Amino acid sequence: MADEFEPNILGILCNWCTYAGADLAGTARTQYPPNVRVIRTMCTGRLDPAFVLKALSLGADGVLVSGCHIGDCHYLAGNFKARRRVALIRKLLEEYGYDRERLRMTFVSASEGALWAEVVQDMVNTIKKLGPNPLKQAGAAGQEGAIADEF
Amino acid sequence: MKEYNFFLGCIAPNRYPGIEASAVKTSREFGIELCDFKGASCCPAPGAFGSMDINAWLALAARNICLSEKEGKDIALVCNGCYKSLFETNYRLKENPELRAKVNSVLANAGYEFQGTQEVRHLIDVLHKDVGVEKVKESVEVPLTGLNVAIHYGCHLLRPKVERIFDSSERPVFFDELVEALGAKSIDYKEKMMCCGAGGGVRSYKIDLALDMVNEKLYNMTQAGADVVVNVCPFCHLQLDRGQLEIKEKFGDVYDLPVLHYNQLLGIAQGMNPEELGLSAHVIDVEPLLAKVL
Amino acid sequence: MDQEKRIGVFVCHCGTNIAGVVNIPEIVEYTKTLPNVAFADAYTYVCSTPGQEMIINAIKEQNLNGVVVAACSPRLHEPTFRRATERGGVNQFLFSMANIREQNTWVHMEMPEEATRKAKDLIRMEVARASKLEPLEAKVVPVEKAALVIGAGIAGIQASLDLAASGIKTYLVEKEPSIGGNMSRLDKTFPTLDCSQCILTPKMVDVERSENIELMTYSEVEDVSGYIGNFDVTIRQKSRYVYEDKCNGCGKCQEVCPVSRPNEFDLGLQPRKAAYVPFPQAVPLKFTIDMDSCIKCDLCKADDACGELEAIDFDKPDEIVNVKVGTIIVATGFDMYDVERKEEWGYKVYDNVVTGLEFERLIGASGPTGGKVIRPSDGKQPKSVGFVLCAGSRDQDEEDGAKPYCSRVCCMYSLKHAHQLIEKIPGCVPYLFYMDIRSFGKAYEEFYYRIQDEGGKFIRGRVAKITEDPITKNLIVTAEDTLLGEIMEMEMDMVVLASAVVPTESTQKIKKLLTLSNSPDGWLLEAHPKLNPMSTTTDGVFLAGMCQGPRDIPDVVAHAGAAAAAASIPIHRGSVTLEPIYAIVDEERCGGCATCIGMCPYGATELTHVDSKLIAHVNEAKCKGCGTCGSACPSGAIKMQHFTNEQIMSEIEAFAQVW
Repeated sequence: MADEFEPNILGILCNWCTYAGADLAGTARTQYPPNVRVIRTMCTGRLDPAFVLKALSLGADGVLVSGCHIGDCHYLAGNFKARRRVALIRKLLEEYGYDRERLRMTFVSASEGALWAEVVQDMVNTIKKLGPNPLKQAGAAGQEGAIADEF
Repeated sequence: MKEYNFFLGCIAPNRYPGIEASAVKTSREFGIELCDFKGASCCPAPGAFGSMDINAWLALAARNICLSEKEGKDIALVCNGCYKSLFETNYRLKENPELRAKVNSVLANAGYEFQGTQEVRHLIDVLHKDVGVEKVKESVEVPLTGLNVAIHYGCHLLRPKVERIFDSSERPVFFDELVEALGAKSIDYKEKMMCCGAGGGVRSYKIDLALDMVNEKLYNMTQAGADVVVNVCPFCHLQLDRGQLEIKEKFGDVYDLPVLHYNQLLGIAQGMNPEELGLSAHVIDVEPLLAKVL
Repeated sequence: MDQEKRIGVFVCHCGTNIAGVVNIPEIVEYTKTLPNVAFADAYTYVCSTPGQEMIINAIKEQNLNGVVVAACSPRLHEPTFRRATERGGVNQFLFSMANIREQNTWVHMEMPEEATRKAKDLIRMEVARASKLEPLEAKVVPVEKAALVIGAGIAGIQASLDLAASGIKTYLVEKEPSIGGNMSRLDKTFPTLDCSQCILTPKMVDVERSENIELMTYSEVEDVSGYIGNFDVTIRQKSRYVYEDKCNGCGKCQEVCPVSRPNEFDLGLQPRKAAYVPFPQAVPLKFTIDMDSCIKCDLCKADDACGELEAIDFDKPDEIVNVKVGTIIVATGFDMYDVERKEEWGYKVYDNVVTGLEFERLIGASGPTGGKVIRPSDGKQPKSVGFVLCAGSRDQDEEDGAKPYCSRVCCMYSLKHAHQLIEKIPGCVPYLFYMDIRSFGKAYEEFYYRIQDEGGKFIRGRVAKITEDPITKNLIVTAEDTLLGEIMEMEMDMVVLASAVVPTESTQKIKKLLTLSNSPDGWLLEAHPKLNPMSTTTDGVFLAGMCQGPRDIPDVVAHAGAAAAAASIPIHRGSVTLEPIYAIVDEERCGGCATCIGMCPYGATELTHVDSKLIAHVNEAKCKGCGTCGSACPSGAIKMQHFTNEQIMSEIEAFAQVW
C-alpha cells in the first residue's frame, strides 16, 4: 500500500518505570515501529492536560502516556492521579470531536522491555486505524489560537 | 423446573441408552428437566477428531453451542468427551476474541454465530454444585450399604486443569461424595486417576494398548475389593464394560465386574426399576450387583 | 533572561551502535539549521575523555551557554556530561540529552531512514528544551551517620558487620525472635560440608557484641519517610512479654510451660513451648512468650521458674522506636515455594515426601531426630531416597504458582544431601531425578564428580508423578529416563522435593514502604543487573542477599558486602548532592486554594500565611519533584524546576515541528 499513513505519536514517559523499560527494550534490541517521540518526565503525575491538548492541536496523531504499575509508583501515588486525569482528558477529547483512543495511558515497569515494544505496536495499530489527526486534514493544525497559549 | 438442553453425544444413544434414560429420570427427582436437544451433532470426538483438525473441531463444537444459545438454554451432558468438546470450546471462545472471530467466520457459512451466552455443565457437576450432596442423600430410598464402589473419574472431566472448574485434578473428591451419599463406600485402588485407555483415538487406533490399560485398571479395582465400577462417561463405560469381553478374548483375564454410569447407580438408590435404567443392555451381567443391594 | 541562547549539540557515533544505523553527517547538518544552535559536531565516543574535552573546548571557543548531547540514554550518561558541562564553565542544569540509541537506533535497526528522521526530531526537541533551561544549584544535604539493615539472615548479618566495622552505627531489625535466618536451619553447607551453625554462630555472636550494631529482634519496620541521608524509620518492637534485660536465658519458663506448638524454626517437625527460643544457639538468647498460644497458667512466673528474676510480664506492650538513618539495606531473604500445589508429587498427602529444607532439619543434629535420617511414617531409616530437582522451578507453565526461573541452590544441596545419606546410612542409595545439574561455582563440579563416585544415582528426567503404597507407605516414582528413552517406575522409601525458592511475604511490605520495584520474576529490582546488583533506583536503599534473586551462601556474603560498601559511601562522605528538581511556589500567583496540599504524597506542601494571604509553600526537604502538584495547580503558580511547563511545552512544539 503506497504512502501508508505513518502516525506521529508523542510519548510522555515516567523516568523510573517506563522510560527505563523502554531503555531495556533497546538494550535487548527488541524492534518496534519508529512512530513515537518521547518526552521524559519524572512521574506521570507531571502530566498537565494542556500537554495533551497542545500536542493534538498542533497535529499530533496520538499521545501515549506511560508510567509505573498501579501501586508501584516511585512517588507513591503520581500514577493514580495521572490515570484519573487521563480518563477526564479522554472525555474532554470527545467533546472536541477527537476519538478518545488518541490518548492512551499504559503501565510498563522498568523490567518490561518487551511489553514496551508491544505497547508501541498496539498504539501505532490503533492510530493507523483512526487515521491522521483531523486537524491536519482540515489544515487547521498549528494555527494561532488553536488552543489557548498561556504557557 | 430448571431446563437444560440434554446433549446426548454418540455412544450413549447408540450403545447404552440406559445412560440417557437414567439421567433423565433421576434428574426429574431434583427438578431438573433434560430436554431433547434438536439438531445436535457429534460433539465432535475430541481425541480422534480434535487431533486431526483443531479448527474443524472448534467450529463443530461451537455449532452445537449456537443451537442451544438460540433457545437461551444451558447445555447439560453426561460424557467426559463431550464435556471436553463443548465446555472447553465454550470457555476458549469466551476468553479469546481472536479465536472467536476466526471460528465465527467459519460458522457464518452455515448461518451460525457464537455469542458466548450459555453455560455447558456436566451433569455430575450440576448434581454436586446445584443440587448438593444433602439433597441427593435425601432422595435415597434404597441405601447401597456395604457396596464397594470403584469410582472412575476419567480424564477430560478434570484436565487440563487451567481450562476446568474443579479444585483438584489429582485428588478430587466430588464424585466420591456423591457415591457415598447413596450409602455406598468409595474404595481407594491403585492408580485410581489412570486413564481408561479409550479416549484420544487410542481405542480406535491401537486397541491392544487400550485394552492393556483398562485391564490394569480392572485388575487394580478387583484387588481392592470392588463390587461395581461407576463412571461418568459413556466411552469409559464402553471401555470398562465391553472391554472386559475383549480382554477375556485377548488376554484370558476374567473380572465379571459390573459397570454402571453414575445416574444408573443413582436410579437404583432412588428405588427405580433396573429395567427402566437400561441395565440389561450391559455386557457384564449386573445381576450380582443387584442381588447385593436389592 | 533574554541572553542569547548559544547551544552546542554533540552527536555521538557510539562506535557503530548509532553510526551504523543513522546518517550522522546528515543529522549534524540538520542540527546546524535549528534555532539557538551555535555549534554542532559529531564524535565516535562522546563519553570518552577526548569526547568530553571536545565539549569543554567547544563551550570555551564558541561561547556556549547550553549543551545537548545526542547519544545513549540519559539514565546512563547524564551525570557524565553534566560534569563535563560544569568543567566547561556552564551550569550543569543547562545540559540536556537526546536518547538516540536505546530508544532509536537499537530498536529500529532495519529502518535507517526512519531512525535518522527520528534522531533529528529528538534532537530538535531537546534543543528546544535546552533553550528554556535555567541554571540551578544542586542541593547538598548532610547524611545521618547511621544505617538500617532490614533482615538478619546471613545477608543482613554480613552487611551489618561490615558497616559496623567501618565505624557506622547500624540498626539491625529482624522480625523473628532470633537472628540467623534460613542459614541457621541448615545442617552442612556445600561444597566444603562445613557445619552451617558452626560458621554462622560466631558471626551471630559478633553481631550481638558489636558496639556499633543496635540489634532489634522480634521487631518490624512499620514506616519509612524521608530521603537519602535523612530517612525517618518507625520500628515496632513486638512484645516478647519478657523483659530482655532481666531474662538470662535460663530456660526454666520453657521447662514448666504446659503448652506445645509446632516449632516454626523446625518447619513444624518438632514442637516448642509457648515460652520458647526458636533454637538453642539463638541470638539474643532471650525467651519469647507466644501470646496466641499462652493459656496464662502463670506456671512460668512461679518461684521455681522465672520467679525471682521477674522477667515475665503478660501486660508488657509493644514498643515503637523512631530512628534516623542515612542509608537502608534490605535483606529480607526467601521462603520455600508452596510445593503442595503440585499435586502430582503428593507433598502433605504422602507421609514420606518432604522438602529440601525439611530434610535439612531431619539430618541436622539439633533437629527433631537428632540428625538421624528417618522416614516420617514409621521412623525407619530409608535405604532408597529419590530427589526431585527443579520442583516448582524452571516451570514455564507457571501453573499452580510454580516459577519460571532456576532456584540456583537446589542442585548443589541435593548433591550434598545425597552425600550425607551415603555417609550416614550404609547401603542407602540416593536417586537424583534432574533436568540439568547446575554445579557452577568454585569446587562445585568437583563435588558433583565426588557424589557420582560415592554412589549417587542420576536419572535425567522429570518426575511425572508419585503414588504411595498404602501399606508400606513407600513411594512409587514415575519418570522418563530421557537418556535411555524409557519410562521408568521405581519404588523408594522416601522422596525429597528440591522445591523452588520464592521471595518472602514481608518483602512485599518493605517494597511498598521504600517504593522499590519487582523484577518480573518477583524478586526485588536492582539498579542494574550487571553493574549494580546491590543498589536500587531509590537513592540510599540497597539490596543484600536472596531478596534480589536466588543465590548460594558465598554469593550472598559477597552481595551483602557490596551492599554494605555502597551504603557506607554517602555516610563516610558526610553529605549527598540532591538534584534540585523540586517544586517552587510563585507566591504572587498562588491563590491559596490548597489543591496542591491534597496532591502531594509526601505532605511536602503546606499552607502558610504571608501577610494576610494564605499561600502554599513547598518544604524542599520533603519534595521529591514528581510534579503532581505542579500539573494540578489551577493558577499555574507551581514551577517544577528543570521540568517547567515552558520547557515541556517547547519540547511538544518542537515535536510538532512548529516553531
